Amino acid sequence: MESSKENIVQAVVIMDHFNNNFSPINKTKPMALFSVAGVPLIDYVLESLLLGGVGETILFCCQDGPKIKEYIKKCTNEKVPWSLTMDVQVIMSETCQTMGDVMREIDAAGLVRGYFILMGVNSITNINFAALLEQHKVICKKDKEAAMTLIYKKVSWEHPLIKNDKALFLAADGKTNKVLIHEKYKTKSNDNVLQLPLDCVLSHSEVKLHHNLVDTNIALCSPSVPPLFADNFDFQTRDDFVNGILINEEILASTLYYTILKDTQYAAAITNWKTYQIVCWDILHYWTLPLSIETGSFYQNNYVFMGNHNFRKTSSKLSRSCTLIEDVLIGANTQICDNTTVSKTMIGNNCEIGNNVTLIGSHIMDNVVIKENCKIINSFIDNKCIIESDSILENGTIITANVNIKPKSKLKGAVIECSEIDNNEKSLGKSTSESGTEWENESEGSGGDEFIGFDKEWSDSESCYSSDSSVQSSLPESPIPEDTNIFLQEVIDSLARGYEEKLKCDYLILEINSSRYAYNIQLHEVNFFVIRAMLSMPILIDSKSVLVTVKDILKFFRPILSNYIKTKSSIMDCLRAVEESCIKCEWLDGKAGQIVHLLYEFDVVDEDSLLEWYDDLKDNESLLVNQTSLVKFFEWLQEASEESEESD
Amino acid sequence: MAPSEGPVKELDEKCVEMIVKYVSEIRSGKLDGSIKIATATVSLLEQIISDSQNPTAYELCSTVRAVGRQIVCALPQELVAANIVRRVLRAIRDEQRAHANQSSEGAGESLQRLVLAAPHRRATIGAAKDLREPIRDFISELSAELDSSTSAICSQACEHVHADELILTYGASSLAEKFLRAAASRRYRLILAESCDVKESHAMAARLSTAGINVTVVSSAAVGVLMSRVNKVVVGVVAALAGGAVLSRAGLHAVTVAAHHYSVPVIALAPLYKLSPLHACEQHHFNALAAPHTAMPYRSKESAVAHVVAPRYDFVPPNHITLFITNLGGSSPSYIYRLLSELYDPNDYQI
Repeated sequence: MESSKENIVQAVVIMDHFNNNFSPINKTKPMALFSVAGVPLIDYVLESLLLGGVGETILFCCQDGPKIKEYIKKCTNEKVPWSLTMDVQVIMSETCQTMGDVMREIDAAGLVRGYFILMGVNSITNINFAALLEQHKVICKKDKEAAMTLIYKKVSWEHPLIKNDKALFLAADGKTNKVLIHEKYKTKSNDNVLQLPLDCVLSHSEVKLHHNLVDTNIALCSPSVPPLFADNFDFQTRDDFVNGILINEEILASTLYYTILKDTQYAAAITNWKTYQIVCWDILHYWTLPLSIETGSFYQNNYVFMGNHNFRKTSSKLSRSCTLIEDVLIGANTQICDNTTVSKTMIGNNCEIGNNVTLIGSHIMDNVVIKENCKIINSFIDNKCIIESDSILENGTIITANVNIKPKSKLKGAVIECSEIDNNEKSLGKSTSESGTEWENESEGSGGDEFIGFDKEWSDSESCYSSDSSVQSSLPESPIPEDTNIFLQEVIDSLARGYEEKLKCDYLILEINSSRYAYNIQLHEVNFFVIRAMLSMPILIDSKSVLVTVKDILKFFRPILSNYIKTKSSIMDCLRAVEESCIKCEWLDGKAGQIVHLLYEFDVVDEDSLLEWYDDLKDNESLLVNQTSLVKFFEWLQEASEESEESD
Repeated sequence: MAPSEGPVKELDEKCVEMIVKYVSEIRSGKLDGSIKIATATVSLLEQIISDSQNPTAYELCSTVRAVGRQIVCALPQELVAANIVRRVLRAIRDEQRAHANQSSEGAGESLQRLVLAAPHRRATIGAAKDLREPIRDFISELSAELDSSTSAICSQACEHVHADELILTYGASSLAEKFLRAAASRRYRLILAESCDVKESHAMAARLSTAGINVTVVSSAAVGVLMSRVNKVVVGVVAALAGGAVLSRAGLHAVTVAAHHYSVPVIALAPLYKLSPLHACEQHHFNALAAPHTAMPYRSKESAVAHVVAPRYDFVPPNHITLFITNLGGSSPSYIYRLLSELYDPNDYQI
């Protein structure tokens, strides 16, 4: 019995994303029940695990666990194929905030017996898991330290799956496929300089470099993986784990391998709206066979194939004069009226689409009503929305459930949320519109491109900071590289704690210095970040009178200031930090002059440096130059200096 | 007794569970190949029939038909499974008829008796005798037939393949391979046109070559040129359809068109369980698409936008086929309808 149990392949599926790429849809709907080409993600995952020869699956939910449990129960009652041959466990833990927490929990609970498959619920694949796991075991026999085999799909560099996600640079030993360097970067950033250490090339006879791999979010793990997460509590994500292992290979005594899927196998992870759309089309185009739009239903042939990859459920009703161009999926009982044109769009069940509607590249969930003459392009509309007539929705508009859009509204890249979910009159649910400027910019940028895709720039919210959301929000995306970012975060934390508990400034200086060495930060950067941290303290965000608080803070941290800001160059660092803070932090908006004044009063900065800085600002055409508070301050400063000169 | 008119019977839980297990095994590819699927279907039906408690013919018929419908809905591509269900249904009906007639001539049904059977004799429902015993006998006969079908077809190989002939076959097919191997003593030459599963075609060519057959592998594009020299085309089929047409793997139609043009005989190897009472109007089979990576790799940038249409099956019209070889011997396409009516009851054409 024991041995037979050991042969069962185990898989751990992490049911959460730990990011806000699908906000606000994922607030109400768990990722697992998100519909991709008409089928909930969880169905694809369970079916692919079943087809891949997995015998036992652990679904690890951090949010919305009960919903998933209910869904699994429902499926088991209906005798969906996987429920008979695969053992599915749902495990809930509300406390887990990151993937690292999940792995620690798994380690603590001893859920896995041996080698296992680790995947996210967002992976859609038709690979044979059991065979790949065997391959991993063979690697482990050769190299006792092998901890994980990462699975990648090779595509061309310009493939949309790569273009719309973080690109990956991977260097590996050509003979053993051992990963040497693993780096993720934004494809759109300009400084695409990758560094390849020389010893990496010198110490291996053959090194393979890959820049065209799609991360499938699937990994084959040795039994040593959960304990590794447990030992290194700073591993938050799988990438943390990978990087941590590569950096500390000797200390952790673990190595990583990778494998590239064959041409016949498909695997992709849905990480943002654009990849969502691409995967939807791949499913319609049969790339994912045997996973298809009929996955999850025991009976097949529920769809009528109408050519050009248009599919409709047999119970849908189409007007004679409506046109389906290509890649259209129409759910059960959906009705489409006269002269409507549909292209590259997924429409759910029980929808009503009026006359003269144009739908392109959109995703429409169940029970949506779209009145006549609407134009919906590259948008996502959740369940039970009503779009009144003559509306135009464009460029990645996202509408959550139960929203009623007024007639003739024009939305471009907006996110419409139903603000009062408990409101009895749901149809009147207030809609709050946030203008998504960043999307518009993005869409203009790719305006020449074909219309495909949600024109949403993916947001890179590092899950490691999500534990303290207020601080996270205070740090809008900045081009600061990883380490310095973490350093800044630590300085803010220690300063905030010091301020709250009235610690001695000497201790805080010690703390800051130790973090400085930990992250290898230059001295002038330390000066800069200390001032930035002071102006980014969490108390400031909620404070009513920001200036008074700033004054208090500066007063309290006087010793720290005098410790770091001594020389002329450090004063310039300090002023530059003020500049950046004032631009980035909204609570300091329009208060640059006052803050500089405070610093001047505290004798942190001197007159000459101030003037020099002001000249710099003018030269660089900084946003601050024309701020009235700053202009006034410098007028005052000029006068004061003139007066003092006169008095001399 | 016309169960096709009544509502479909609800199946009990245990039965549904068995069906789901069977379906998921086929879907996950654990059961691959038509003969294995046919055998699995037979054993599934046998299990279900022996589990049913003291049934009448009508009840048994409805149960089997309900199972059949579930299987057909869940596995529309597996025509073999549906054929086996039809065979079993036919057996139940025959048994019931025999009981109604109270005839003591024994179980051996003959063609003449079927033709002579008067309609009024069908009307009476049989006595409450346990039908399961004779049906179990029939099922064991059926599985014996399945087991022997390959050898029965291969034993005819020497009648069709002669020395110094040039034989052409298309793609990898285990039945065609066994057939050709059985004719190895004839010292013929073989051209193997590779289908989209290039690897399997090559593996088959290698196996045949080690068996001492002179094999040449050509691309399927070269078939048109070579056809004038070919003496016979021997192919395996997915299903033999009602009108004598053939449902085959994609690409065969081009081969048979060339053969038709040069009047080269085409021999289709179709064991009896592949005979389907379907006509060419069944949309689902002709529109079924295969995974596009057989035609184009996914990696290219265009694959995200391009429509790759890779059909799974080809429809070969009856006039392109010269001879079907079944377990019972050779039969021309126009005779298929006769075989069908012998194998299945017209009531069961639509499960």
